Amino acid sequence: MGELQLYSMDIVGTAGSSSPPAYDYLLLAGGSDTRAYEILRKAKGSALLLKNTVLFDFEERKSDPEEKVRIAYKAYENYDCNVHSIECSIKDPSACLKSLEKNDLPLKEGQSIAVDISCFTKPYFFAILKYLKDHKHLSTITVFYTEPIAYRLSKGFYKSYHSSEGPLSIIELPGFPGLERRAAKSLLVVLVGFDGELSSYISEEVAPEKTIVVNGFPSYTPKFKDVSMINNEKILGSSGALNSVKFARANNPFETFNLLDAIQKESGNAFLNIAPLGTKPMALGACLFALMNSSTRILYPMPEKYTNVTTERCWQSWRYVIPLK
Amino acid sequence: MPSDDSYRNPFAEYNANVMDPEKILAFWCDPFSFARSISESDILQDKMPIVFMGGRGTGKTMFLKYFSYQVQIAQASIQNQTATPNDIEQYFKQMGGIGFYVRIDSPTLRSFEGKGLNDSVWSEIFSHYFELTIARAYLEVFQDLASRGLLSGDSFKSNFLPALAKQIGMRDYASNISNLANRLDEELEYVTSFRSKIVFSRVKFEPRKLFSSQYLSSGIVDLTKKHLPNLFDKLNFVIFLDEYENFSAEQQKLVNTLVKFVRKGMTFRLGMRLEGFRTYDTIRKEEFIKEGRDYQKVVFEDVLNKDKNYQAFLVNVAKKRLEAIPALKLKGFVNIVNFLGEKQDLEAEAKCLLKGRKTPTRHFQYLKLLGTRVDLAKSIKLLSMPKNPLLEMLNILWVLRGQDSQAVHDIMKAYLGKKKSKETAKYRMDYVDKYKLSLMFLLCSAYHTNKKYYSFNTFCYLSSGIVGNFIELCRRSFQNAYFMNHGMLLNDGIIAPDLQDQAAKDLSATELQMITRIHTYGDNLHCLATNLGNIFRAYHTDIYLKYPETNQFAIDEALIQDAFFKEAFRMAIRWSVIQRKPQLQRASPSSARKEIYTLNRILSPVFQITYRTRGGFSEEYSQDQLKKLMTQSNAEPQVRLQSGFKNESDSKQLELSDSLTL
Repeated sequence: MGELQLYSMDIVGTAGSSSPPAYDYLLLAGGSDTRAYEILRKAKGSALLLKNTVLFDFEERKSDPEEKVRIAYKAYENYDCNVHSIECSIKDPSACLKSLEKNDLPLKEGQSIAVDISCFTKPYFFAILKYLKDHKHLSTITVFYTEPIAYRLSKGFYKSYHSSEGPLSIIELPGFPGLERRAAKSLLVVLVGFDGELSSYISEEVAPEKTIVVNGFPSYTPKFKDVSMINNEKILGSSGALNSVKFARANNPFETFNLLDAIQKESGNAFLNIAPLGTKPMALGACLFALMNSSTRILYPMPEKYTNVTTERCWQSWRYVIPLK
Repeated sequence: MPSDDSYRNPFAEYNANVMDPEKILAFWCDPFSFARSISESDILQDKMPIVFMGGRGTGKTMFLKYFSYQVQIAQASIQNQTATPNDIEQYFKQMGGIGFYVRIDSPTLRSFEGKGLNDSVWSEIFSHYFELTIARAYLEVFQDLASRGLLSGDSFKSNFLPALAKQIGMRDYASNISNLANRLDEELEYVTSFRSKIVFSRVKFEPRKLFSSQYLSSGIVDLTKKHLPNLFDKLNFVIFLDEYENFSAEQQKLVNTLVKFVRKGMTFRLGMRLEGFRTYDTIRKEEFIKEGRDYQKVVFEDVLNKDKNYQAFLVNVAKKRLEAIPALKLKGFVNIVNFLGEKQDLEAEAKCLLKGRKTPTRHFQYLKLLGTRVDLAKSIKLLSMPKNPLLEMLNILWVLRGQDSQAVHDIMKAYLGKKKSKETAKYRMDYVDKYKLSLMFLLCSAYHTNKKYYSFNTFCYLSSGIVGNFIELCRRSFQNAYFMNHGMLLNDGIIAPDLQDQAAKDLSATELQMITRIHTYGDNLHCLATNLGNIFRAYHTDIYLKYPETNQFAIDEALIQDAFFKEAFRMAIRWSVIQRKPQLQRASPSSARKEIYTLNRILSPVFQITYRTRGGFSEEYSQDQLKKLMTQSNAEPQVRLQSGFKNESDSKQLELSDSLTL
C-alpha cells in the first residue's frame, strides 16, 4: 500500500463503539448457526440502524434435511428489517454476483455498506469485497463478525473438526488469481485452522517452494492455538514450516494484513499464495491484503458440501472498518 | 565436530517441487536403473512420446525434473567446474536433448472453466495460455544459454531474434531474449487478468495476438533448427509436462493432439497418476491417441513394486537423506535398515503381547468352538509352549482343523527337537512358510490388541511401490523417536519398534481420512476402502485361516457399464486407493484369469491386516457388488468365515468408525 493507514475495530454494543451507527445496506448470509443473525438481534432496540438487509439466500442451506436447521435458517424473519433476498448457490459466487449486477439494488459509491461475514463462506465474502471495491468503487466498508462461543467437535478437539464434508478441490478464489511472474519462487502462506487435513492437502496440490504457517494467536480461547498446531502436524513436519511459524491475533484482520505485508517484503518477488483456512477475521486480513496486492493468489479447498452448522452460541460481535482504497 | 544440534529430520521436505537443482542431484536415485524397459538415454533422445504413470509419491516429479535443463546444466557444471560454452554444448549434444519442465497447478487449470463461458471458448483461451507457457519455458532456457555465451553470433542476432519476435507477435525490434520474455509475460498477465474479471462481468477475451495450438510450442523449435542449427539441429526439445491428470478432459484433448501429431524436433514426456487420462480423444474428430502407436507407457509401480531391487533402491534413497544430516553422518548412521531393524520379530512380539497378562491363556478359548469335543484344561496343558505363543496358536489351529491334541503336542515336540518326519515337515511349513503372520493377527485378535507394524522390510511392503509412502513412514518414525527417545536415536542410531508402529498407524489413519477428500468420488472411494478393509480384516480373524492374508479382489473392469462407477473405479486406481497387479491372475484355482487388485497396503495398519500380498485367494466382484462396496457400509466377505471371539469383527468395525468420524 505504501502509505500509513489506520484501522478501526470495536465490539458492537460497547460504549466505545465508533460511528456510523447507520448503514444503507447490510449484506447478510442466510444460515442456521446461532450467530447468523446476531447482528440483526443486536441492532434491534440499539443505536445500530440497518436500513436495508440484503439476504444471500443459499439454496443448499435452506433445504437442509433437518427441520430444526431449516427453522433456524428462517430466523431472520423474526426481526423487523427490510429484507431483499437474493437466490444463490454456495458453489457459484460468480453467478450470484453477476445477478447482483442485474438486480435493482442501488448499491453505489458513497453509500454506507456493511457485510456480516459470520456465515458467508470464505470464497463468497472474498468475492463480495472484491466486487464492492472494483465494481462499486467503495472506498470504505464495514465488516461485522460474530465470534462463536464453541465449535462443534464430534469427538473432542483433536482431529475431529471439519468445516466441510466430503470431496474437495483446490481452487483459486474467484477474482483472486494472482500473477505468477517468470522465475519467481512460489511461496505458500497458510493461515491454519483446526482442519489440518486441508492444509496438507492444499500444500500437496500447490507444491510451493516455501511454506509459511500462520497460527491465530492470541486465539479466541487459549487452547485453540495448540489445537490448530497439533492438527496441522503434517504440513508443519513435511514442509519445513515448523521452524518458521508466525502468529497473528485470531480476531484482528489488520494484524494478519500487516504480517502478510511483512512476509511479502521479506520474500522479494516471490509469487505469494495465501490459503486462508483459519478464522474469518484472519481470512478478512488476507482478503484485504489481496485486494491491495493483486499479484497475490488466494487458494481455497472448495468442498462439495459445507457443514450447515459448525458453531454454537455467540460471543462478541466485532465491527471492522475496512479501507478499500 | 557437529553436535546433536545439527540434527533435523532427514525425511522432512521431501517434495521434489521444493527442491532446487542441486538438491535434486544430491538426492537423485534412478528408479529405472534396474529396469530393462527404458534407459536414461531414452528419456531425452527417444522421439516417441512417453507417458510416466505412478501413484501419488512414486517420484514422478523428481524424475521429470531431473531431466530438465535447469538440473542438467547444474549436472554439467558439477562434472566440469570450469565448463566453457563448448563443453556445455557438447554435454547437451551427448544427452541428445534439452528438457523443459512444465507444471500447471490444479487451481490454475480449474480456473479455465465455468463463469458463464462455454467449453469451446475456454478451450481456445487455454490453448493460447498453454502455448505461451511452453514458449516461456523455452525462453527461460534460451536466456540462460545466452548468459553462458552459447547464443551469440550474427545468425542469432540478425535472424533468430527477429524471427522469434515476429513469431510471438512483436512488431518492434527485440534486442535480446529478455525483451521477448517480457512480452510473453505481458500476454500471460492479460490471460490472468481476464480470469479475474470474468468472475464479475461479461468481458471479451481479446489478446494482442491469439496463439493457436502448436504455433509457439512447435514454431519456436522450427526457428531454432532453421537459424541456430549448430547448437539445436540434433537436439530434441523434450517437454516434461507434470501432473497431467489435473488437466480437464477438454484440456487433455488439446495436449493429446500435440502428442499424437508431435512435430519433428520435439516430443513430450507426460507425468501423471495411474488412470490419469481423462480422455484419449484429440481435438480432431475420430482421432485418438493409442498406447504403442502414439506413445509408450511406463508405470512406476510396475517397475518398483515387483523388483527385488526395490529394497536396495529405498536404502539408497534413505542413505542420501541420512548423509545430509551431519549429526548422523559423522556417527556413520546412514543405513536406514539399522535404524528400523531389518525384519519384524514375530515371536518376540507375541511374547511381549502376553507378558504380564493376568490371563495369558485367553487365546486357547478359540478351542471352545469345538464344544464338548475337547477337554479345554487338558488341551491347554498339551498345546502350551509359553516360550512361543505363535506355536501355541498353530497347535490350536491344527486341533480346530481336526487333529488330536496329543498328536499335535507330539509333532510340536518332534519339530522343536529337530526330528525329521513328514509331520514335522508339514508343521514347519505351516508355521514358517504359511501361517506365522496370520497366527500373529489371530493372537492379537484374541486379546483385542493391535498388531505392530515396524522394521525396514515391513515399511517397504507398506509403501506399496510408492517411494513417498516410505519416506513419510520414515519421517514420522524419526519425528516420534526424536520426541520420545532422543538418546536412542542420536546415540545408538535405532528407532524403537513401538515408535515405528505409531508412525505407521498414524499415517495409515491419515491416508484413509484423506480418501474422503479426493475431489471427485471421494465419499465413494472412502466407502470402498473401508468396506474392503473390513472384509479383509474378517479373513484375518477367521480362526480356521481358510484364506490367510487375503487382501485382494478380482473384477472385470470391462463389465462395469455404469459410467459413474466406472469412473469412480478409475479414480480409486488414480489415487492408489487400490492397486492393479501387473499380471492377470486367477481369483481362485478354478476360475479364469482376471485383473487382480489389492487394497493399498499403506492402509493395512488401520484395518489390522497383512502388510504384504501373498496372492492365492481373491474376492470376486460384479458391477452390482462394486456399487454396494462404494455406497453401502458394513459389507460382508463372500466366504463364510468364523471369528473366534464373538463380535470381534463387529467391535473392530465399530472401533474404526469411531476413530475415523469425518
